[in-house]
Amino acid sequence: MQLPIRHEWFEKNAVFLLMGALLTVAIGGLVEIVPLFTIETTVEHVQGMRPYSPLELRGRDIYVREGCYLCHSQQIRTLRDEVERYGHYSIAAESMYDHPFQWGSKRIGPDLARVGGKYSNDWHYAHLRNAQSMVPESLMPHYAFLEQTPLELDDLQERMRTLRELGVPYTDDDIAHAKEDLLAQADPRSDNKALLKRYPKAVEASGSGHVVTEADALVAYLQMLGTLVNFADTNTERLQQ
Amino acid sequence: MESVANVLVGVMVAGFGIVGLFLVAGAADSEMFIFGLGLAVFAVAFNFGLVKRHFDKRDATRGAAREATHV
Amino acid sequence: MSDHALAERPVIYNDDVVKKFVIASIFWAIVAFLVGVYIASELSWPALNLGLPFTNFGRLRPVHTSAAIFAFGGSALLGTSFYVVQRTCRARLWGGEALANFVFWGYQFFIVMAALSYVMGFSQSREYAEPEWHLDIWLTIVWVCYLLIFMGTLMKRQEPHIYVANWFYLAFIVTIAMLHIVNNLALPISMYSAKSYSYFSGVQDALVQWWYGHNAVGFFLTAGFLGMMYYFIPKAAGRPVYSYRLSIVHFWTLIFMYIWAGPHHLHWTSLPDWTQTLGMAFSIMLWMPSWGGMINGLMTLSGAWDKLRTDPGLRFSVTAVGFYGMSTFEGPVMSVREVNALSHYTDWTIGHVHSGALGWVAFITFGALYYLVPALWHKELYSKRLASWHYWIATLGIVFYIVSMWVAGIMEGLMWRAYDKFGFLQYSFVESVVAVHPFMVLRMIGGVMFLIGGLIMAYNLRRTVTSPTIEAPTLDTSMGGLAVAGE
Repeated sequence: MQLPIRHEWFEKNAVFLLMGALLTVAIGGLVEIVPLFTIETTVEHVQGMRPYSPLELRGRDIYVREGCYLCHSQQIRTLRDEVERYGHYSIAAESMYDHPFQWGSKRIGPDLARVGGKYSNDWHYAHLRNAQSMVPESLMPHYAFLEQTPLELDDLQERMRTLRELGVPYTDDDIAHAKEDLLAQADPRSDNKALLKRYPKAVEASGSGHVVTEADALVAYLQMLGTLVNFADTNTERLQQ
Repeated sequence: MESVANVLVGVMVAGFGIVGLFLVAGAADSEMFIFGLGLAVFAVAFNFGLVKRHFDKRDATRGAAREATHV
Repeated sequence: MSDHALAERPVIYNDDVVKKFVIASIFWAIVAFLVGVYIASELSWPALNLGLPFTNFGRLRPVHTSAAIFAFGGSALLGTSFYVVQRTCRARLWGGEALANFVFWGYQFFIVMAALSYVMGFSQSREYAEPEWHLDIWLTIVWVCYLLIFMGTLMKRQEPHIYVANWFYLAFIVTIAMLHIVNNLALPISMYSAKSYSYFSGVQDALVQWWYGHNAVGFFLTAGFLGMMYYFIPKAAGRPVYSYRLSIVHFWTLIFMYIWAGPHHLHWTSLPDWTQTLGMAFSIMLWMPSWGGMINGLMTLSGAWDKLRTDPGLRFSVTAVGFYGMSTFEGPVMSVREVNALSHYTDWTIGHVHSGALGWVAFITFGALYYLVPALWHKELYSKRLASWHYWIATLGIVFYIVSMWVAGIMEGLMWRAYDKFGFLQYSFVESVVAVHPFMVLRMIGGVMFLIGGLIMAYNLRRTVTSPTIEAPTLDTSMGGLAVAGE
């Protein structure tokens, strides 16, 4: 068979070979990735999604820092047993503000996509401190040091501003009140009306009480996971991609 | 030709070293501090090696030339 | 056949940088295996996490994967590519000694800094792309220099044709550059802060990450090492590559199809179905070029099979091709949605990865190292017996590893979906954790065996280098590109 392209061109010209290889590998990525940004239904339109509250955001940063995703997925697949074990299957909209996504690829521990509200705050603090005290067979490392580490608050607004530039809809108001909101969420005695107005369903988390610790942030994050979208109000057509 | 390329690489690495010092000076966290410091140390060590190699090579060729004239 | 008149002018190769990469590769192999054994032990006995931030599984696991893929595998790839490109082009490395040294030291600096950043708690938490933005930029600079050297050497070659191994090396270099840059797009919270947020989010981020993640396997761990296969197996066997035509088909179909396969990591998730289906279809098709390459590698030995008895390096290389065939069959099977429903999130995936990483990547590298160290230092291999011990201990270690992970993975998958007679889920999650404990221990033992094999190799090669020189150094200029390419 005589092809219009002769392989000799590529074998004798390094630049042709380079360009040929680059073009060949570019096609697959372009065809699969670009439509995900242009097809309107890729991310469903559902009620309830909001950006992370400042304390939750810092908790998520710690989740990312510690590499929690290596053992815990945050993605309930559309399989019967998963839905019965963990709750409604995950939808794309639920991770639309996740920079980066943390779906994970391995379950050494259980899925956390809907762990929010399943356990009490006290359970989470005890479990982070010493997982085996709550679940004797658990393989989880001890994260007691989170409770002893005060949460770094200085760059809070920079973090939110960076995320806004990437498309997370934080308002000027959100950013201006970031620290107040964070402290309100980490203090059970505080008045949190303004916090809940900006971030509905935010869960208060406070361990020792005196200083806000990294454990407080992480617990606040865990307690909101998967709780935002109210699936009772969402019909299946809206979930069609 | 090769010596020109070597000098260019040396200049480039020196540039990275200076960037490293700036990162140390402004570092907002421990990681950036260590990275900047590492970059500066890397640049110094690399360019030291570059200079050393150059003189080692020159000594070797000179030594060979001297031996050749003495024979 | 090439014109050997050109060979009369001797080319002085830059073997100094190759030697450095060879030493680095051996060093990082031991580190990667050691950390692997440690984190495998953590999964068997969680008390080994010690409760310290920097010894936790979450921070050490990227140290293991980066040490294995980028430090051990990467050093082997860069080193062998520099060795191969010089010999098959009959040209000294382009860009001079300093540039080559910069690529070596810059790359090692990247590895050390990345490992340090993980244990200090800086990670993008993107699988196999954990280093933060500043390290990504540094790697990009080093990588561009690497590409320049490689392209420059190809362009000043004295051979009319570019040898097939170099096609694979080039595709590896350029595709990794593309993947690395796109996947690591991120905005740091400030110029002076190591923390950044990824440019993409949610479902798009997931696909970009697995487009990267799967092709880190496809191009770093496959295409690059195929380049190694296409040089060292013909060289050690003393036979030309089995089919030149098959090499061409293998090359273009492999690099075309691999890039589509990423979505099979995201079956049954919030990724749109059409993307999942496309990913699955290409993953299954990918079986063909993969086996084409395997056949090309194995058939190269026809007429030289007896060398397997006498050449310990070749034995590693050929076994590697066998494992390559096995895991490139297993991969497409696991990419089928129904199979993936069972296998995903379980240890089956871990076993699959390691049959590729230990069986293919490490073994083909060991084969190249057993060839390269005597060739570069002009010595005879210190002990064939020790190499043989290495081979058998490591092979047995892989078998322990893969089999225990198959059992553990399928057990987890079945337990998670098991229903009792009343229609309720039969097992709690933690029951599956308890059930696989013995297999976690077995896997760790497999890892220890592989580590022991690695230590034997390091000792053997060290003794090889320090042994007295047996012959006067000869210039290896005899082999031009087409002499191996056949036809």
